Amino acid sequence: MPMNFVTYLTQLNDALAAENGQNIAYLLRPTSPHSKDLLKEYKLNPTREKLSYYKLTIQEPWDEIAIQYVLTCSHVARRRSIDAFKEHTQLVSHFYNFFGQNSGWTLPVLFSILRDLRDLAFDADFHARFNGLKSDSMEESARTITKAFTLCLQDRTSPPDQSRKWGVYYVVGLVLKCYFRVRRISLSKNVLRALEANRDIPDLSYYPKSHQVTFRYYLGMLRFLNEEYEMAEEELTHAFYQCHVEAQANQERILTYLLPLRLLKGYLPSDLLLKRFPHVRELFSPFVAAIRAGDIAAYDRALDTREKKLLELNLWLTLEKGREICLRGLFRKVWIACEKETRIPISKFHASLRICGIEVDSEEVECLVANQIYKGFIRGYISHEKQMMVLANTNAFPKPVDRPAALNFL
Amino acid sequence: MSSSTSTSKPKTEGKAPSKSEEKQEARPHLGVLEEDDEFEEFPAADWDDSQTDMGALVGGSQAPGAAKSGADKLWEDNWDDDDIEEDFSVQLRQELAKTGKGSDAMES
Repeated sequence: MPMNFVTYLTQLNDALAAENGQNIAYLLRPTSPHSKDLLKEYKLNPTREKLSYYKLTIQEPWDEIAIQYVLTCSHVARRRSIDAFKEHTQLVSHFYNFFGQNSGWTLPVLFSILRDLRDLAFDADFHARFNGLKSDSMEESARTITKAFTLCLQDRTSPPDQSRKWGVYYVVGLVLKCYFRVRRISLSKNVLRALEANRDIPDLSYYPKSHQVTFRYYLGMLRFLNEEYEMAEEELTHAFYQCHVEAQANQERILTYLLPLRLLKGYLPSDLLLKRFPHVRELFSPFVAAIRAGDIAAYDRALDTREKKLLELNLWLTLEKGREICLRGLFRKVWIACEKETRIPISKFHASLRICGIEVDSEEVECLVANQIYKGFIRGYISHEKQMMVLANTNAFPKPVDRPAALNFL
Repeated sequence: MSSSTSTSKPKTEGKAPSKSEEKQEARPHLGVLEEDDEFEEFPAADWDDSQTDMGALVGGSQAPGAAKSGADKLWEDNWDDDDIEEDFSVQLRQELAKTGKGSDAMES
């Protein structure tokens, strides 16, 4: 039987009395089947005037929320994205009045309507851009969502297991997602600063894994873009290992940034790992193979053929730095070919580069070797007068991963 | 490290899936990695460690990604080999022999 508005209000009221957050979330979702019934009842043209008849039929602010819901649905149905976003923003704002006074059972509702808010903002911006209009709905949605963050943090009355604080990380994840979408990443800093300042919340590890993984992914990306590689690697590692293995696209997304960072640190992905993620393999396997073989020419070719993609993904610089690891492999081969002599003329390193088709002068070769020493890839020193590399007796080529603070030393 | 790489990504709007497309895309990820791809909503809020790659850690007590001597099957930290018979090494040895001995080898 199609649902009319009176039935809708009754169901909303029942769910409220039962404190059934999931049910309310369902009732407020524009994609739920009852939305069409409600629109039919108003011959597809519900207005605030017609609906205001129902004000005060259920407890405030839920009467207003129900009215906003129908208005939002009607705009969605008519593809008026910008209006839909505006009406839904009102809905969220009415909900905040209730949310701030209630405990954590309301969180499923909050998550659901904020997700919809972000989706509607996405559509609104897309629609506006398509029509050559200016629109900053996504930024506006980020600001609206940030208010929920404050409301979550400020819960000082609910019992710990029923606290709104359990919403903090999900909400921050959504805010970051908004700012990443419109590439206003620097705006994320405010909410992160507020989060750091407020340690009166449960440790991240106690939150549901979906909250942890999403938060750590965005935080890791932020660190990565700020070139704080050590911290980026830590966040993304956690995100990857906590992610559900069936969330393939998300794991692949994390790995796209984690893999280059780990590579710089001295870890190569195993075949087992690459096999599971074909797109990651497609992008990175030539680099990995080149490092394994110490084949600097192949590494440079990979940089060249993938330049556009890597630039798009903000990864070019990272892979360019990875060249050092490949160069280490080449120089190690020279050392092996020289039967692990402890004294090797610089000219031999020069020759190895020449074989690879890399034409540089001898000063540059000396510089490349010096860099390898400085970065901890080779243990030893250069005798400049004798143009000789003097290697340590033991462990002349330590495992790259054994370098202290490898990522702070690029 | 250069500071020229700004934290904000360059603005390029390649594709912009509508809301419904975005949702349908949940599992089979078609096409190659795109800058505009979004981190997707998870279908479930929480899950057990057994449904993650924590299971790849042998013994389970190591820090994720530690890779020390094969504790983590997903990463390797030692790929050096001393094989002198593979093609490149043979070529290298021949070439190095030509550069002669002594400190100032023939610089052309």
